[in-house]
Amino acid sequence: MLDDLILGMAGAGGDGVVSAGESLLSAASSEGYHALMTKSFGSQIRGGESSCRVRLSTKKVLNPGGALDVMVALNWEDFFKFGAELPLSVNTVLIYEEKAGPPPETLAARGVVPKELVPVGITELTKKSAGSDKAKTSVVLGLLSGWFGIPSEAITRGLKKKFGNKGEGLLEANEKALAVGIDYAKAHPLQAPHVIAKPAGTPGSKMLCDGNDMCAAGALFAGVKFFGGYPITPSTEVMQTLTREIWKYGGTVLQCEDEIAGLGATVGASFAGKKSMSATSGPGMDLKTEILGLATIAELPLVLLNVQRGGPSTGLPTKPEQGDLFQAAFSGHGDVLRPVLAPTDVEDTFRTTVECFNIAEQFQTPVILLSDQEIAQRKEAVDLIDTSKMEIIERRVPTEAELAAKPYARFALTESGVSPITHPGLKGGTYLAAGIEHNEKGDPTSSGAMHAKMNAKRFRKLEPLKKRADLFEVQGNPNAALGLIAWGSTAGVAREAVQLAKAEGHDVKLLVPYLLYPIAEQVYANFFESLKHGLIVELSHQGQLYRILRMFTEVPKGVRSFTRDGANPFQPIELVKTLVELKGLPS
Amino acid sequence: MNAPLFQAKDYKSELKPIWCPGCGDFGVLQGLYRALSAIGRPPHEVAFISGIGCSSRIPGYTTAYGFNTVHGRSLPIAQGVKLANPELLVVIAGGDGDGFSIGGGHVAHAVRRNIDLTYLVMDNQVYGLTKGQLSPTSPKGLETVTSPLGSLEDPINPLLYMLAYGAGFVAQATPADMPGMSALIEEAIRYPGFSFVNIQSPCVTFGEDEQQLKAHKGKMKTLASLGHDSTNQLAAMDLARAYGKELYTGVFYKNPNPPPTYESLVKLRQAEQSKKARARHQILEAYLQK
Ligand SMILES: Cc1ncc(C[n+]2csc(CCOP(=O)(O)OP(=O)(O)O)c2C)c(N)n1
Ligand code: SF4
Ligand SMILES: [Mg+2]
Repeated sequence: MLDDLILGMAGAGGDGVVSAGESLLSAASSEGYHALMTKSFGSQIRGGESSCRVRLSTKKVLNPGGALDVMVALNWEDFFKFGAELPLSVNTVLIYEEKAGPPPETLAARGVVPKELVPVGITELTKKSAGSDKAKTSVVLGLLSGWFGIPSEAITRGLKKKFGNKGEGLLEANEKALAVGIDYAKAHPLQAPHVIAKPAGTPGSKMLCDGNDMCAAGALFAGVKFFGGYPITPSTEVMQTLTREIWKYGGTVLQCEDEIAGLGATVGASFAGKKSMSATSGPGMDLKTEILGLATIAELPLVLLNVQRGGPSTGLPTKPEQGDLFQAAFSGHGDVLRPVLAPTDVEDTFRTTVECFNIAEQFQTPVILLSDQEIAQRKEAVDLIDTSKMEIIERRVPTEAELAAKPYARFALTESGVSPITHPGLKGGTYLAAGIEHNEKGDPTSSGAMHAKMNAKRFRKLEPLKKRADLFEVQGNPNAALGLIAWGSTAGVAREAVQLAKAEGHDVKLLVPYLLYPIAEQVYANFFESLKHGLIVELSHQGQLYRILRMFTEVPKGVRSFTRDGANPFQPIELVKTLVELKGLPS
Repeated sequence: MNAPLFQAKDYKSELKPIWCPGCGDFGVLQGLYRALSAIGRPPHEVAFISGIGCSSRIPGYTTAYGFNTVHGRSLPIAQGVKLANPELLVVIAGGDGDGFSIGGGHVAHAVRRNIDLTYLVMDNQVYGLTKGQLSPTSPKGLETVTSPLGSLEDPINPLLYMLAYGAGFVAQATPADMPGMSALIEEAIRYPGFSFVNIQSPCVTFGEDEQQLKAHKGKMKTLASLGHDSTNQLAAMDLARAYGKELYTGVFYKNPNPPPTYESLVKLRQAEQSKKARARHQILEAYLQK
């Protein structure tokens, strides 16, 4: 029995492969499996090719996985459009629509031809059972259930939910199609069985959500009261969720006229004393830059989510890339230090979002939450997060008594660099917030001496972040000579690579920074110390973390940048192979 | 009559304005002090938001909470302030360039949302702070450092803009008539919704002679003296067409039946939705897959 199964499906827009993937995912999660689903579309608004990958496991799923165990192609043309996103191996069971004919030459040209090719007359079976070809994916679900052991009762429950109130006949048609698929699979056993084991978890204990869900939920948990934004793929769902939920908790969402206004309103709400956030992606980030600078100099807390997509400009709006780290860390004029945090999967997007609010409020600074399209939009079945021990930090507001005791200085040059912050409505705390440089009181100044002190204060206050061990995940033997560094969605691939390497007898350690900026020099120095060889793995052309590390730390010679441009996902196994090859080289 | 709770001087800060001697903005500041004292909200309950420009320096000269933001973005920022705390009195100020050039895209949206904000534009038909360039309200043909051979474009008409977007309160004032101006600012603040006052505030350094206070005194006509009915939106638009030619002061339009403000609708929605709130530690249970 398998404890891990990776399935892929591809078809034309109307085939409903994504919706089938969702049914599979929800069936698996209600049974207690860990599961993860990514989807990929062509750039058409509706129709056009679509595909999905679903990974089911009895253990925590770390990433979408590498080569597929099972691939269902409803036609060849659409399948081939997804190249690297649907990789096959010789062991993949390749199920395809019989009508489409045997695999074209292109398959061999791509390097691997699976041993087990399974033509099925999916359309035929659907027509026969359901009376039309509308229920094609239910036949597919039946096949998958029959061959791979995914519990059919859970799939049936899913169908009931989906079609139960969608009019006469639809549910029955799909149920019939499902049964036909199951029977077909039973009657035509595969050469090598691939049945997945039963999950250990109790049914009904898993959350089904994506990264954008967890960001919105994290924001609500942290106590967000204001969201200002403008729709942009792949971040929009955060605004959509909040604008349904936030009212319940006394907050409001303003859909603004553009991204500048979105972050403008956010900074205004923060000035007025409320926890505030905005969310955007690539082009929207560009527009928000000036307001970010304002929040930095006026020392106003806010969280800005950037769900990275491929760039520059419109780039690849529906695909992940890790190409915005430079922007997150460095965009804007002047000497700016602004925290950047990256979640690494759906589940920790919740914690990382709460952390961003905490850091923003504690240090009175804008914080960039740097997610990416994969994490943001992949759906996962994960254990319910225990929030009982999670801390929520509020900003340091002086009391009216404190304010009455001595004249208030909003930007007092304290040792920590953090000064008490008031907000309109608070008696005795009036001050001028401004984009212009100011003295301790907040009055405008053009004094070079004061500017130097204020810059130092704004940098000083963020120093403690670098010492927060909990913002870094360090795994493995501290003396290992091989190591991986990865961040964001790439971290999940690296985590699995470390496990694979271990199983093959290689000692590999791993560093995953959640805090990407400011660079915690010491954390990296410690990690680098034992390394002879290492890879800094990033889904971008330049390898932006690698380059920033070269700015701030001594990166050993044997540690290299390992990159691939966005929309070309890594596979865990290739990281292991590359590391093992490096091992043979002099450091 | 009782003495006001707060006098004009209670709104005056210790900062010395950086403006050129004689700048119209001094008058606007005086008028604002008076209006605020007439209204009587304590300074700490007032949030005064501005953009960038000579005029945008004004919040610093008051004892209110001020936010001197970036060029052109005072409107969205002020909306965030007001929505975050609707109890505040929120006033916005800035220049003609700030409001109608770089920030022009925000105006329509500020108006249509009808948040209870008061927007004072100190219109001097020139870029003061950056030393005399052409502004979106400069008259056609004006020679400035960026139009040395005379400008080729027509000015925009702020009054007509605001009326056309549907603003519920639109007025024009000049510091040449101090009592008139402070009364208009006060009335604008009291209007329950988005209100706009275009204040002809002369730039003594880069402005034309006919834009100075002395010229205003000779030229200005109150709308009341023309018998204008300020509840008549069409008549208001007709009169507003004279912007740049005539100097009409007073209320062009005041909606006699102000619609509910955005923030009052927010409040209703929050009240209605609050019943559905989950306890903080149960928020994630919404995602459980049964
Ligand atoms: C993004 C940006 N662009 C340009 C400037 C330069 N700038 C500052 S104020 C200003 C124009 C000011 O004119 P106005 O808004 O009419 O105000 P005034 O000084 O006349 O009161 C300009 C162009 C800036 N500060 N920021
Ligand atoms: S430049 Fe003009 S607008 Fe600016 S302070 Fe001087 S007179 Fe006033
Ligand atoms: Mg001007």
